[in-house]
Amino acid sequence: MKSFFMETKVKQPVYINGVPTTDLYLEKFPDKEYLYINSVLASELPAGDYYRLIEPELFGYFDEICQLFNDNTEIEIQHETYLPLSIQVNGRYVFKIERESTTFTVDTELGLSEIRDISNKIESVFKFKIIPLLKREGLYD
Amino acid sequence: MTRWELTKFKVEKNSEGLLTPVLSFEAEIIIPEAYKSYMFIYNGKQLTVNGSEIKPDYLAFEIRLKLESLLSSSLIRELSKHSKKAEYLRSFSLRKISVYAEGTLANLRYVYNDKFLEFGSVLVIPPYKDWGKLCKVPLTVKTNAVSNVKSLYELLVEICRSAVTVYNNVNTVNEILKILLKEIGV
Repeated sequence: MKSFFMETKVKQPVYINGVPTTDLYLEKFPDKEYLYINSVLASELPAGDYYRLIEPELFGYFDEICQLFNDNTEIEIQHETYLPLSIQVNGRYVFKIERESTTFTVDTELGLSEIRDISNKIESVFKFKIIPLLKREGLYD
Repeated sequence: MTRWELTKFKVEKNSEGLLTPVLSFEAEIIIPEAYKSYMFIYNGKQLTVNGSEIKPDYLAFEIRLKLESLLSSSLIRELSKHSKKAEYLRSFSLRKISVYAEGTLANLRYVYNDKFLEFGSVLVIPPYKDWGKLCKVPLTVKTNAVSNVKSLYELLVEICRSAVTVYNNVNTVNEILKILLKEIGV
């Protein structure tokens, strides 16, 4: 996994540069091996030691998702369901869900069976691994 | 063998404003080399081609049975779960029909009341030999039957679960076409 970003909202604020913050933006940059929260190195925040401890585990879970693909892949995941909204491989969409008014359109170059397997894997990694880990560290409510 | 092309295929059962539902069917077959077009219409009572009734009656009966089976598809039943209104319309049609040397591709469109599910392109003529292929090929799926992404994914799974049904539906379309082509001597 090269990079990821996700938005979360917490009830107990995280103090970022002394400011209590409940809207968080968790991020790993392509060329950095650390977790950033609202563009600040997580290990430099008040609970930084804990955040540093979870980095390998958290990044490992994202790696599990990336192992489904061989090439450069970008996946957009819906925050409510943890299901993929789009998958781009080498900059080209191979799966995309669009909504216009009451109509959904799904375009897929992958078979529906493959989409089912990919979405099941992503959903389960988020539901049972990433989200519980973030909740434990107060980075997700 | 004469080359022919399917340009229209639609069956529906409509009961809006009627005491009893009416089954109707339209299909158009063209023969490009002869510049001929054949429009088949079934109005619930008789089957006609370009306005002339097709005899004997049992042909209309045989086609009616096949049309009814298309409207009993499990995908239409699935759509009915998402409609809050009492049934007034069921339909099955082929859309975006494209003819290639290797075969005819089309979108399959299933309708229940105001809800629809359309996916394609599916190889309709000749049908896939392997029914499981439907879920292994690129597809575009359109629907207004669901209101959120979770339900949309469930519907995608339902399409795969119904792959045998879809396979049977496509075979039924081919059986109907075989009867119609025989009628026009192709």
